[in-house]
Formats: sequence, structure tokens, C-alpha cells
Amino acid sequence: MNRILPLLHFLPFFFATPAFAQTDSTPILFVGATVYTIAGEVIEDGAFLVRDGKFEVVGNRSEVEIPNGAQVIDVSGKTIMPGIVDTHSHLGVYGKPSVAANSDGNEMTGPMQSFVRATDSIWPGDPGFRIARAGGITTINIMPGSGNAMGGQTAYVKNRGNTVEDMLIRGDEDFRYGMKMANGENPKRIYGKRNETPSTRMGIAGLQRNRFLKAREYMKKWERYEKNLEKDPDSEKPERDLDLEPVVEILEGKRPVHFHTHRADDIMTAMRLADEFGFRLILHHVTEAYKVVDEIAKRKVPCSLILLESPGGKHEAVNLTFENGGLLEKAGVKTCFHSDDPIIDSRFLMRCAALAVREGMSESEALKALTINAAEMVDLEDRIGSIEPGKDADFILLSGHPFSVYTRVLQTYIEGEKVFDISDPEYRIYATGGFGVEDRYPALEVEK
Amino acid sequence: MKIFTILLLTCLGILVLAPVAHSEGIAVQADKVHTVSPSGTIENGVVLIRDGKIEKVGTAGDIEIPEGYETLKASRVTPGLIDAHSVVGVSGIYNVDADRDHNEDTGPNQASLRVIDGFNPTEPLLDYLLRFGVTCIQTGPGKNNPIAGQMAIFKTSGNTMNSSLVKSPSALLINLGESPKSTYGGRNKSPSTRMGTAAVIRQAFIEAQIYQEKLEKYEEKKEDKEGKEKNPPDRDLNKETLMKALNQEIPVVLNADREDDILTGLRIAVEFNLDLILDGASEGYLTADRINEAGAPVFVHPTMQRIEGLETYNTSLENAALLSQEGIPIAIQSGYESYVPKTHLILFEAAIAMVHGLGFDKALEAITLSPAKILKVDDRVGSIEAGKDADLVLFSGDPFEYTTHVEAVLVNGEVVYRLP
Repeated sequence: MNRILPLLHFLPFFFATPAFAQTDSTPILFVGATVYTIAGEVIEDGAFLVRDGKFEVVGNRSEVEIPNGAQVIDVSGKTIMPGIVDTHSHLGVYGKPSVAANSDGNEMTGPMQSFVRATDSIWPGDPGFRIARAGGITTINIMPGSGNAMGGQTAYVKNRGNTVEDMLIRGDEDFRYGMKMANGENPKRIYGKRNETPSTRMGIAGLQRNRFLKAREYMKKWERYEKNLEKDPDSEKPERDLDLEPVVEILEGKRPVHFHTHRADDIMTAMRLADEFGFRLILHHVTEAYKVVDEIAKRKVPCSLILLESPGGKHEAVNLTFENGGLLEKAGVKTCFHSDDPIIDSRFLMRCAALAVREGMSESEALKALTINAAEMVDLEDRIGSIEPGKDADFILLSGHPFSVYTRVLQTYIEGEKVFDISDPEYRIYATGGFGVEDRYPALEVEK
Repeated sequence: MKIFTILLLTCLGILVLAPVAHSEGIAVQADKVHTVSPSGTIENGVVLIRDGKIEKVGTAGDIEIPEGYETLKASRVTPGLIDAHSVVGVSGIYNVDADRDHNEDTGPNQASLRVIDGFNPTEPLLDYLLRFGVTCIQTGPGKNNPIAGQMAIFKTSGNTMNSSLVKSPSALLINLGESPKSTYGGRNKSPSTRMGTAAVIRQAFIEAQIYQEKLEKYEEKKEDKEGKEKNPPDRDLNKETLMKALNQEIPVVLNADREDDILTGLRIAVEFNLDLILDGASEGYLTADRINEAGAPVFVHPTMQRIEGLETYNTSLENAALLSQEGIPIAIQSGYESYVPKTHLILFEAAIAMVHGLGFDKALEAITLSPAKILKVDDRVGSIEAGKDADLVLFSGDPFEYTTHVEAVLVNGEVVYRLP
């Protein structure tokens, strides 16, 4: 399988593009746009100052003073909102083109892969990241796939940079990324075919319970050791277990679980596990959430929704409805939307929220879903998800209302740095497609 | 037959909808009627419907609504949407063996297969399509076989194959590129390469030509020298179908995405003088001049199709616009999805093509009149004109806006969907 050549297409571009340049200290004032701050009312004729990668002042044009030496950018008539947070994506672990060589999302050599880290699979050269910038996505939870009952550790990244280290948001001992878990058809299909566990839903839950119980014992073993150490410095140290360490962090509440689940009974199974082991749970996909909405609301479990244009393709997705978002909102459940890229192209994540609005979700909740709600689900609500002083200056410039089909993402900024501009042909080709044949890409008559 | 169809649809209508008093006909009133005909968009328009057909189209000022007509109101009205290439009806919503009937991949030449023999008119996805205004689809076999079989055109309402059928066969489906070679290559069978796929197709057409010569010779002289009756050549359904394509009695829908695959398709079409419709054509924009020269219309891939494998790596949201600006007739298709979502919706695909250079009028045409013309069913469907089937979609606003609702759908003059 010689599939190297197509990859070379964009390598020169990859290396030619400067890594996000060091943040310029010149403050920039954006004036004139309709600003959806998400933190409060929509500001017409708004103004906000960006300095050192952060929002400094936000308000109406009349309220914001122009500091000395500031660059002023007039964006009158345009719309600005916070950068979109995608809580569930496979960019970089399922890189484009989607050939076996780029398939690094599912370590399907065993159903419980708590020790693998998405960080170690992420390919920053995946053109999908640039495509996602054209869709206004600035922060991403990159997840292992759902082939395993426990798929591995996720990674929270900013959508910029040439190395995974440039992209990662913290990840230190005091800030752990999520754990991907899955139930339903995918794990049982993969292992059932091999006559291995799990081949049933109860098999999946059995493995998961077992792992949590083991982790609980392991945690106690270490606690005992720490205690014994006080009395006896020569106490025998337990062996480190990379499979159990991250699960202990889940039990300690440091690491949330991002749980792939569709059918109502699978959602209940995920919550039953969380009830038993007391972990922080974020439900993902939740095709049938509307059927058990009271149970979800009662437990205050946030839901990250997928909104595909049609149902089916697998049994557990047959009852998909655009109404899911609105029904969850009415029950008081916190929601967001995710791309599951490549399942939904990152450029169309905003469209998912618009389609939820079509079927009953309020516009304000749909906007929160794309930004602050999603930020909360990755523990980053203090840094991103709204346009407020002190937060990272991650925002997007739109040509019109966020939920109109006629609206285009014009520019994307991460920490004050422009990472997408549709007027620049080098970026525009990622908004349209055709980046593999950039030198031959024809011009549209209407834009000539 | 026709009476039977109308009766059946009427029964279905009564079963599905709240019973309404029998009316003489239906009058649809809208702020804008997008006729997709020389009449263009009629402001404050009226469409009169009687006996399943469009009776009259004009402005509210010009048309008097006859007594006894039921009146339906909407913001916008368009013709029923036509999906140029779908697999709905043969590739089911559950995507399990039990409802997968699109790939007879037991041999690379399946010309004799007719999609009408695998079409499930009660497939739930047909109802789903209807709710988004799709009233007519050309559906067909999948992508695995080089010569995949015969496609057919159906209305999306109706509960038997016959009551839904518009035309069969509507086209012969031929597939190039990654699917056929990976299907058979994986089994160490032919074709396992692109040249293998092309050779399998050429071989089949050449054998069909030889068969046709034999048939013609037999027709010329049915007796031998001694005056005894000769046996006719054995019937061969594969070759008979390929003959129809060779004689341009049916068009060939040829799926090809990569530029070189498209050019291979053109090469085969020229060699056998086929009535070619290009299908997919992800890299069509790179070779629009050659496609135009060949006079081939294009059923453009779903605008938002994923980059899958290598042949769709250069997919562009502007492909429809770039082909159209070259003067190539285009229609937008929903194509085939192997996983989730199970199908695309041409309403949404056209919307994205619209904002990526195609514009409103051409985007609407690409899912109404254009596919009807390319498939030669424009005498019945594709525009709002007197005499055509009364297939209409009533919208609450701009048909392409995300937040607009389809409020009602009419097929053959019957209201088959109403927004709850």
C-alpha cells in the first residue's frame, strides 16, 4: 500500500505555514460588530479589546476607550461570537485522507485501553485541523474511537500549532483530560465477531465495572502504602499500573468520563455505573436521550449531542431526531453539540445547532451549547467559551447570523492570533476543499 | 393500472391523514411560487391541482379558485424535490444484512439486475425523505460492482413498488474507482486494479456487441440453407441490458471521483458511444472542460460528502458551482452512505452548494428540473407547470434556510405529509 504520495501534497504547506506566531503585544480593538458574548446580552455595535491573547474590555462601542497604540479593526455589519468548542472529535487520530496509514483512533487489541492517550496518536499535520478552523472551531476534545469499552485518555487542545505540545491545554497532574468510554453496538460488534468479550451489552458493562473495582482496590493499596510509609520507610511499594492509574483519577474526580452511548437503556447503563462509582459523567451522542430525559435531568448529567441529517446506519441510531436538543433543554439538561469528525465535518458543527433550533431549541441555548456549555464539559469554562475580560481571546468573525445557511465564517482567532481568514487563498482552500490540488484549483466566476 | 395507482394513493392518503372532506381539487397559495419553469418565481402565486395533476399556475390576481377546492397556504412553494441518485429503498435504515440489498457482489458484471426487484416501498427512510420535500428519487444498486445493474425512478410515497414507480430501467449503473477493486481485490479476484475494472467493463460491452451481431444475423435469416428453422441465440439478460446501453435506449450513470477515473469513464463512453451521465465526480472541477466537451451531464456527489479513502480527498463544496459555470448540466445527489447518517438530504446538500457559488435558482434547479431533464422524466416532474404531476413542497420560508420548515408535501395531488 503505497499511500505516501497524496500525503506529500500538503506537507510543503504544513511546513511553510508559520506556527502560530508569538502573540504580538500590540492591543487590538475590534469595533462595530454584533457581539454574542454568551456571558450576557447581545451587544449591538460592540467593541472589545484583545491584549496578550486575552479579552480585556468588552462593551458597546461608546463604552470602550481606545488605548494608546492600539490597532483598531472595523468589523461593522459583521457578527462575532466565541470560538466553537467541539467536545468530541477525532481530528488528528483519524487523519485525512482516511486510509489505514492514518487510522490511529481505536487500539482494538483489547476492549479496555485506559492506558492509551490520544495525545500520542495526534497528527498535527492532519488537514482536518485547518478545515475545522474554517468552521470556527478553536478548542477540541480529541477522543479515541468507540470500538473499545474503555477507549483511552482524551486530549483537550487548541486548534493551532505544529506539534501536539503546542496544541495541548495543560494536562498536568492538577488538570486531567477525559476518559473515553463506550457502550452499545460498537464494542460488542468488534469483539463479538472475534468471539471475545464483550459480545453483549452486559459484557461491556461487566468489563467496565470490573475495571472500576480493580482501580478502587489499587487506590486503596496505594493509600495503605502511604500510611504504612509513615510507620515504616521500607514498606513495600505497590507496582505502578498504567491501566489503573487513570481510572483512579476518575474515581478521585480528577478525570471525567466521556461516554459514547445512544440507546435509552445504554444511557441508563452508563448512569448506573456513574451512580455506583461516583464518577463525573458526560454523556455523548445520546440519540435516545429524550426517552429518559427525566432520569438525566435528575442526575444533572450534561449531554453532548450529535445531530446527523438522517437516522439509521446502525440500529442504535434509528430513533435520531432533531428535537433531542430542545427536549433536553426543556428538561433543564445542559447540552452541547459535537462533530464526531469525521462523522460530521467540523465545518458543519454550527449547522447542527441551527438544526436543533429548527426543531425547538432556543437560539440562546443553542449558542451556549456551542460555546460555554461545551467549555464546561471539558473543565475549561474559566478560560474559554465566552467573550469576557480575562478569558482567552478565541473568537470568530461571521458574515451574518450564526444560524443562517447564508452565513460564512470569515475569520477565526485563537488567543488573539488569526488562524483562519477566508480572504486569504491559503486559508480559503480549507473552507472549500481542494487543498490537495491547490495549484490547479479553479476560480469561481462569481468571485473572480 | 393508472386508476389503480390513484385509488391506492387515495386510500393511503385517507389512512395516513386526518380525514378531510372530499374536495374537487386543491389550490396552493404562496407568497412565492418557485416554478422552476420559464415563468420563474411568481409573487403571490396560486397553483391549482386536480386529478393528481397541476391544472393552472399564475398570480392570485389572475387565477380564480374554483368552488369546492381545498386551499393550502405557504410562504414558499417549490416543485417536489428530485434526488438524482440515491440508494434509499434498497439500502435500509438498520444497515444490517436483513435490509441491505444494494450490492450483489457475487460477480463484477450484474447488468441484468433490476433495482425494482430489491426496492422496499415501505422503507422508513422513504418517509423521512418525504418530510424534507423529496418526492422522487432515482435509486439503484451500490458501488461495489463495475457493472452494478439497472436503476429506476420512484416517487417516495406509495406502498407497493408499482404504485411508486415512475420509470424502469432509468439507467445502467457503472462504477469505477476504489469500491470495485477493493471488493474483488480483497478476494484475490478480478478486478483488483483500476485497469482491471476498465477491462471487465470493456469486455462486457464487446461481448454484448458480438451478441447483438448474432441476434441481428438471426433476425436477417431465421432458416438454414435447407430451409430448416434455426434456433435463436440463447437469451442472455446481462448482454440484453448492455445492448440497451449500447443502443442508447438507456443512459449509463458512471460513478467516478478521481480525475483519471472520470477520464477513463469518458474514454469508455466514447469507445462504445454511450449516453453518459457522470456520477460523483469529486475531482470534476479539475477536468470540467473535458466533461463539457463530452457533453456529459453530472450528478454531483452530495456537497457535504466526507473525505473517504483517497478518491474523494479533493472534494470541494464549490464543485457544483465550478461545473455549472462551465455550462455542464448538473443535478445534486444524496449518493450512498455506508454508516451514519444513512442518507444525505438533497435539500441540505443543495443549500450548501448554493452558498458556495451556485446561487439560489441553480441550486433549486439542481434538485428539481435538472435531474428530471437529464433522466428524461421532465414531461411528468421537475417544475410547476400545467399538466405535470402535482408534486409540490410547501415551505414556511426560504426553502434552504436551516430553520425553515417543510409544512406540507403533495405527491400526485395528494397531501402525503403535513407538519404536525
